[in-house]
Amino acid sequence: MITDLFSTTVLIGILASGIRLATPYLYAAIGETFSQKSGVLNLGVEGQMLIGSFAAFYVAFTTGNLWLGLLVAMIVGALMGLVMAFVTVNLHAQQGISGIGFYLFGLGLSDLLFQRLIGNVETIKGFEKIYIPGLSDIPGIGQILFNQNILVYGAYLLVPLAWFVLNKTTLGLKIRAVGENPDAADSLGVSVARVRYFTIVLGGALSGIAGASLSIALLNVFQQNMTSGLGFIAVALVYFGAWKPVGVLGGALLFSMVNSLQLWIQVLGIPIPSDIAVMMPYVLTILVLVATVSRVRAPSALTKPFERDE
Amino acid sequence: MIKDRFGNLAYQLAALLLAFGVVSLILISVDASPSETYKNIFKGSFGEMRKFAEVLVAFVPLLLVTAGLLVTFSSGLWNIGVEGQVVLGAIATTWVYRLLLESGLPPGLIIALAILGGMVGGAIWAALAGILKVFGGVNEIFGGLGLNFVSTALTIYLIFGPWKRPGVASMSGTVPFPDEFSLPLLANLRISPWALVIAFVGIVVIYFLLQGTYFGLRLKAVGKNFRAAYLLGIPTWQYAMYSFLICGALAGAAGAVQVAAVYHRLIPSISSGYGYLGLMVAMLINYQALWAVPVALFFAALNIGSIQLPIVMKLDSSLSGVLQGVLVLFVLLAAGVRQKFGRKAQ
Repeated sequence: MITDLFSTTVLIGILASGIRLATPYLYAAIGETFSQKSGVLNLGVEGQMLIGSFAAFYVAFTTGNLWLGLLVAMIVGALMGLVMAFVTVNLHAQQGISGIGFYLFGLGLSDLLFQRLIGNVETIKGFEKIYIPGLSDIPGIGQILFNQNILVYGAYLLVPLAWFVLNKTTLGLKIRAVGENPDAADSLGVSVARVRYFTIVLGGALSGIAGASLSIALLNVFQQNMTSGLGFIAVALVYFGAWKPVGVLGGALLFSMVNSLQLWIQVLGIPIPSDIAVMMPYVLTILVLVATVSRVRAPSALTKPFERDE
Repeated sequence: MIKDRFGNLAYQLAALLLAFGVVSLILISVDASPSETYKNIFKGSFGEMRKFAEVLVAFVPLLLVTAGLLVTFSSGLWNIGVEGQVVLGAIATTWVYRLLLESGLPPGLIIALAILGGMVGGAIWAALAGILKVFGGVNEIFGGLGLNFVSTALTIYLIFGPWKRPGVASMSGTVPFPDEFSLPLLANLRISPWALVIAFVGIVVIYFLLQGTYFGLRLKAVGKNFRAAYLLGIPTWQYAMYSFLICGALAGAAGAVQVAAVYHRLIPSISSGYGYLGLMVAMLINYQALWAVPVALFFAALNIGSIQLPIVMKLDSSLSGVLQGVLVLFVLLAAGVRQKFGRKAQ
C-alpha cells in the first residue's frame, strides 16, 4: 500500500516536472518555427536565450520586479532578432554562420556581464505557482497540469495560438508563402522583407522569454552557459516537429519527460546505472532523428536569401 | 582582380576595427579599460614562449577543422556536424589506443595508427551526415546538429560506461595512457611539433586540392551550381560525399591530436567548441585556404590570451567569445555592404 502511494506520488512528480521542463523548449522552438516557416534558419537561438536569461535575472535581481525582468528579456531578444533580420534579409548573409556568430556573442556577453555585474551565484524568488480554484484540486491531473507558474501556462497557450496564426490568418498565409515561394509571394505584393523581419524579431523575443523562463521561473538562478545546448535542441525540435506547432509540442514534451524521468531516477537513487540515465535524452534524440528521416519536407526557401529579379 | 583583393581586405580590416570598437564600448560600459584588456590578451598569448606554445596547442585543431570545412564549403555544404566529427575522431583514437597499448608494437607505430584511426572515425561520422543528406533528404544542418548531440552522448556513455576508470567513473575522463604513447612535446612546452606538422600538412594539401586539381574544380562547380554541374555530367552526389569524407577525416585528425598530444585520454568536452570556431574562421577568410593560418592563429590567440583576464583584471575569459561573435557579424555586414555597393557601381 505505502509503496503504491509512493510510486503514484513519484509518477505525478515526474509528469509535473516534465510539463514544467518543456517550457523553455516550447517558447524557443515555436519562435524558431515562425522564422523557419518564412524561410529563415536562425541558429542564434542559444545566444538569444542566454542574453534573455541574464537580462531577466539581472533586472529581477536588482529591482525585484519579475515582470519587468521578463519584459526586458523579451526586448533584448527582439533587438538581437532585429540585428539578425538586418544581416540576413538586407545583407543576404549566410544564415548558419550569422546564427553561430550570435551564439558566440550571446554566450560570451551573458557570461561577461554576469561576472562583472553580479559575480557570484545568487538565487532569486521566481514566479510562484498559481493556484487555480477547482482545477488545481483535481487529484493527480491538478498536481500535474494546474500547479505551475505563469510562464509554463503561457508556453502551452502559445501552441494553439501559433497554430491559429500560421494556419488560419492572412499573416500566417503570407509567412508560409514567403517561406515556400518568395518570388510568387513578392509578385502578389507581399513584402518578403517585412514578413521575414516580423518572424525573426518575433523569434528573438520568444527566445528571450525562453531564456527568462529558465532564470526567473524554473531554476531562479543564473549560471555561465546555463542553457547548455538547449537552444540548439530547440532548433532541432522544429525539424522533429515537421514545422508544425503541435509537432513541436510533441517533441518538446517527449524530450522533457525523458529528462524529468532521468532527474527523478537520480534523485531517488533508483539502482539504474547513472550512465544509462544520463544518456537517455540523447538516445531519444537518435531514435527521433532516425524516425523522422525523410518523413517531412522543409519550407522550400529555407536558408535562401531573397532577391528580387530586376 | 588584384584591386578586388585589396578592396576585400580593406572591408575586412574595417570590420575588424569596428568589432574592436564595439567590444571596447561594451568594456567601457562595465567599467573595464579596453586598452588594458587588449594589452593583457596580447601578453597572455604572445608574451612568453610558454604562452605562445598554448596558443599553438589551440591553433592546431582549429586549423585542421578549418581546412576540412573549406572543402565542404567549396561544395556548397553546411557541415555543422563538424563538432561531432572532432569528437568521433577523439573517440576512435582512444579506441585504437586501448586496443593496441598492450600489443607490444613500437609506440611510434601505435601513435600513427591511433591518429589514422581518428581520421577514419571522423570520416565515418561525416559520412553519416552525408548519407542522411544525399539519400535521406535531411538538410545537413539538422542532421549535423542531431549527430553532434549523439557524439556528446557517446562520449559520456563511454567515459561512464565501458571505458570508465577503475573504481569510480568521473567527468575527468578515461584512464590516461603512459607518456611514451603520446606525441613527443618540445622541451618544457606543451606543444608537439608533430601536431603542428599534421596541421600544416592538412592545410597545404587542401590548398592544392582546391586550387590546383581537377577534383577541386569540379567540387567548386558542384558548390556554385549544383544543377548545372549535374547537367554537365559531374556525379554531384559522389562529390558531396567526398567532401564530407575529407572534412570528416581532417576534423577527426583534430580530435586525434587532442587525445594523442594534449589530453592523453578521452574527456567529456574533448572538442571544446573548435568545430563552431572553425566554421567562423572558414567564413571569415571567405573560403580562401591561404588565409586560414593567420586567422586561425588570431582566433587561437584570442582564446588563450583571454584565459588570464579573470586573474589580472576580474574580467571573464568569455570576452574572447564576444569579440569573435562581434567580429563575425561585422564581417558579414561588411560583405553585405560591399555587395550592395559593388552592384550600384556597375
